[in-house]
Amino acid sequence: MVALAIVLSAVVLLLAVLVAGLLRSHADILKALHDLGVGVGEPGSAHDHAHADHRTGAPGPGATGPVQVPLTLGPPLPGERSSTSAPTVVGVTPRGDALAIAVTGGDQLTLLAFLSSGCATCAGFWMAFQTPDQLGLSARTRLVVVTKGPDLEIPAEVAAQASPGLPVVMSTEAWGDYEVPGSPFFVLVDGETGARIGEGVANHFHQVAELVRRAESDTRVFSVGSASRSFADGLDGPERELDNDRELRRAGILPGDPSLYPSSLDELYGPTGQPLRPPKDGVSAREPIGRVG
Amino acid sequence: MAVLRAHGIAASLPSGFEGRIFIRPAIGREVPFPVANFATFALPADVGDFGSGAVNLMSTSDIFTTLFEYGPESLGRPLFARQGMPRSLSPTDFRPYVLRRGLNGQSGSQWFFTEAGRPFTLYVVLGSHVQRNLLVPRVNDLIGALAVDPVALPSSPPTSFSASVGAPWN
Repeated sequence: MVALAIVLSAVVLLLAVLVAGLLRSHADILKALHDLGVGVGEPGSAHDHAHADHRTGAPGPGATGPVQVPLTLGPPLPGERSSTSAPTVVGVTPRGDALAIAVTGGDQLTLLAFLSSGCATCAGFWMAFQTPDQLGLSARTRLVVVTKGPDLEIPAEVAAQASPGLPVVMSTEAWGDYEVPGSPFFVLVDGETGARIGEGVANHFHQVAELVRRAESDTRVFSVGSASRSFADGLDGPERELDNDRELRRAGILPGDPSLYPSSLDELYGPTGQPLRPPKDGVSAREPIGRVG
Repeated sequence: MAVLRAHGIAASLPSGFEGRIFIRPAIGREVPFPVANFATFALPADVGDFGSGAVNLMSTSDIFTTLFEYGPESLGRPLFARQGMPRSLSPTDFRPYVLRRGLNGQSGSQWFFTEAGRPFTLYVVLGSHVQRNLLVPRVNDLIGALAVDPVALPSSPPTSFSASVGAPWN
């Protein structure tokens, strides 16, 4: 009987320790969520999310406090990050030439890989970048390596690790602009919105490729919703013309496409007198748009 | 505004432009001189001095510009008689047949001149000749903010000449 009581007491004690451990773990998770600004059950959290721009992560009007990039990678980043802006990366190449990479404008994504020549984890990325075709990035994503400037890095060491076809910018200023906490660090910028849409730390490139894949599927959803934007936005004049050109390019109709230069009315309207392809959303693929270069 | 500076050339890049100022590695006994490429689209890593490998990627709303320096032996030649870089181009300065590589719809303008005692050519490609009225002001924003430092030349220009007109290619 005494032995049974001792065993039961030991089991109860063990269970108590387990429950305490679980509670402690739960508290740690809640604290981490709180630091990231997504605390569960906090008054105001729903309000904050409702006012955030889903696409850019930028706070809505009147919002204050830290700004969060929509897609993150790896361990939590310091909570005091203050911006999703994406300035042009300006610096020098390892050979001493000047180089500026514009990350905004156009519809492509730019993946900035902040690496150092000496960090052990970075070595794997430098090696992976020697075969860019095997990185799993789409043609829409441009990879750019950013190291610290020649004041903090040795250009020859960077040059020794850089892949010949890959742009490498040495710029301490860019590390400050993008609030880089250390290397390796990755930032994904959407050229269309001009904002950072993903960032974080990774140990292997496949983690980064997954981040890019998620971002691409997100932006694809948005681009589908933006069809015939020029009409919806009430664009007119040159802006509308430029927008129409973009739509045509997306449809695979480039300057000089024969469909833009019909040689006869029959070619344009067909024998029945009806347009061969009725206009959809205001722009027909067969419509003779002489303003396209 | 991003400022790019190397090899005695400086550029304050207008929004949407990127660029590089570089000297190619010498091949054989060739003496390469600085080249500056600017574009409103992503420049590939390996672009020809005058845009081969890049102009084929341009959309109708894009701009490509090269500032290419020649050797000091070109100083004093009539081709480089124009003093100073053109700082403001007009839509009428652009013609499709000026392009080094004639791509349908594109348009170009090329100027030879001497700036700060250094002989250069400025070559500009517009993604669309039809849209030149829209694109040329952006070109002017760029070239208006380019600066060239004088270099100490080993000798004075070879000969003087009487030509006084500039020499645009078009």
